[in-house]
Amino acid sequence: MTTDARTPNPHAALDDPSVLIEDVVRESIVEAVPIGRTERQAEFYTLRDGEMLLNMGPQHPSTHGVLRVVLKIDGERVVDIDPVIGYLHRGVEKLCENADYHQAICYTDPLEYVSSLFCEWAPVMAFEKLLDVEVPRRAEYIRVLSTELNRVASHALTMGWFALDLGGLTPVLYSFIERDEIMEMLTALTGQKLLFNYMRIGGVNGDLNHEFMSRLGDWMSRAARHIESNQGLLNENEILVRRARGLGILDPETALRMAVTGPNLRASGVPFDVRRAHPYSVFPELDFDIPTRQEGDCLARYLLRIDEIKQSLRIIDRCLHQLPDGPVMARLPRLVRPRPGRAFAAVEGPRGMYAAYVISDGTDQPFRMRIHDPSFVHLQLVGLMTPGNLVADTMAIMASLDPVMGGVDK
Amino acid sequence: MDRALRTRLERRFGERLTGPVRQRHDETEIRITAADVTEVVRSLHDEPELDFRLLADLCGVDTGDRMQVVYHLWSATTVDWLRVVADGLDRESPRVPSATFLWKGAEWMEREAYDMFGIVFEGNRDLRRIYMPDDYASFPLRKDFHLADDSSRSPGLGVRPMEETLAPADATPATLLRRSGAERA
Repeated sequence: MTTDARTPNPHAALDDPSVLIEDVVRESIVEAVPIGRTERQAEFYTLRDGEMLLNMGPQHPSTHGVLRVVLKIDGERVVDIDPVIGYLHRGVEKLCENADYHQAICYTDPLEYVSSLFCEWAPVMAFEKLLDVEVPRRAEYIRVLSTELNRVASHALTMGWFALDLGGLTPVLYSFIERDEIMEMLTALTGQKLLFNYMRIGGVNGDLNHEFMSRLGDWMSRAARHIESNQGLLNENEILVRRARGLGILDPETALRMAVTGPNLRASGVPFDVRRAHPYSVFPELDFDIPTRQEGDCLARYLLRIDEIKQSLRIIDRCLHQLPDGPVMARLPRLVRPRPGRAFAAVEGPRGMYAAYVISDGTDQPFRMRIHDPSFVHLQLVGLMTPGNLVADTMAIMASLDPVMGGVDK
Repeated sequence: MDRALRTRLERRFGERLTGPVRQRHDETEIRITAADVTEVVRSLHDEPELDFRLLADLCGVDTGDRMQVVYHLWSATTVDWLRVVADGLDRESPRVPSATFLWKGAEWMEREAYDMFGIVFEGNRDLRRIYMPDDYASFPLRKDFHLADDSSRSPGLGVRPMEETLAPADATPATLLRRSGAERA
């Protein structure tokens, strides 16, 4: 064969046995995007020997919604990771600023569709602070009762998802049984099945009704046993335990620096729970513990959620015993106009701290409404904890952190 | 309200505070300039009698004539939330030092504030858009960014005062849309 001198083969060096392939590759460190604009992008999108980029998502089954993760991998090892979000961004903060105070509540509802009662509660609490409203005690108890039920539903689902992301299909079916029972219960209470829109400024939408109470009593009589048996399915599973132990360790110092809250922080041994650290509602009157774990790995984060379910059952039980009589709504005008001012309120949700910061300018619409969602902060941890692990462990770590994309993308 | 915290803050930051320490319900608020952010936040975090180690929230605010960056902090030494407002940022080119040297987790919250308000955080390694697409040219949460659809406006009040001054009296949703497009260009 003759080579054509006029059109040199660009891959000639690769055919030449005297040139080592590694030399050729080393000379040309590839810029995958046209010059990274930020320091971090430049670092991430510069590939070295043997590295490649792999897109996981936005439609990957274990990304819990629409999350795209760009993995930089070297063989089966993850070198670096760049989560790309915004696929679900609805501009809720802007919408709230163009709605009045009552309307804003139902915009915050679908933020995190797994635990929407908490997403309502934080802004409602902030509005109440702005308006200096005193919430009736019965309403506060009903709020605690309904949100703790929501927490159990959310944690039950998380446990199932965690197993699902690790490849076990069975547990998620069982957790949906649990979740569905609670959802039916909350439907009876609020009138809606997923996005409850139950909290109101100054109280809740409706009092406890007979159907809710009978369903709740029925469920409470066997909830502990159910959870025990679900737990046995996973906690005594050798595959799951060996896979999750020691994976994705988060030490308490790093957790605080990453602004982590909720079960992810408590699984690293920091006993921060807004219900006790900054008490709100009627939590000071209720008797419950804040479980913590020291290991900070995926298994600890998973087990901590089971501990929390048990505490939630305790709280529900206490609420039912201590429930006072009285109205469930404070007397308020239809159109509320708080005096100019600022208010910040935070609640402890199943994923961490949900907070709202509201600025009023004296009109009937919030001037600025900031919503803080824990999933958004926790998703950063994936970039911190994954490098060095296998590609398959990315999913395990992500599932143990339990972000919900609706909350991440606001 | 934690009066002791107020005294501590006044004693520690005296001349750095640009206004009085404000307290309401369970919140304490201090105001500082953007230039003081690094030192004030570092003292709040490091000094044992303050010990604000948990960053609860970081967000941007557009007041209409200037920008603010608002930090909410928690500490076991007080029962209040501490709100630190870095006030008086120029609306044309808002700049503030990054808090990522203390809280690495502030990185995304700062990216969000940049994405929504155009506030530049000096020292943030990854300051790029987070929600909006990379080629998006506007900052949606700024007050001069009007929503094309104003049907959600409550009939009780009419047009908001600030938008009244910015938009012509006979503005329709379509006009507002064109206006926002013109301002972007």
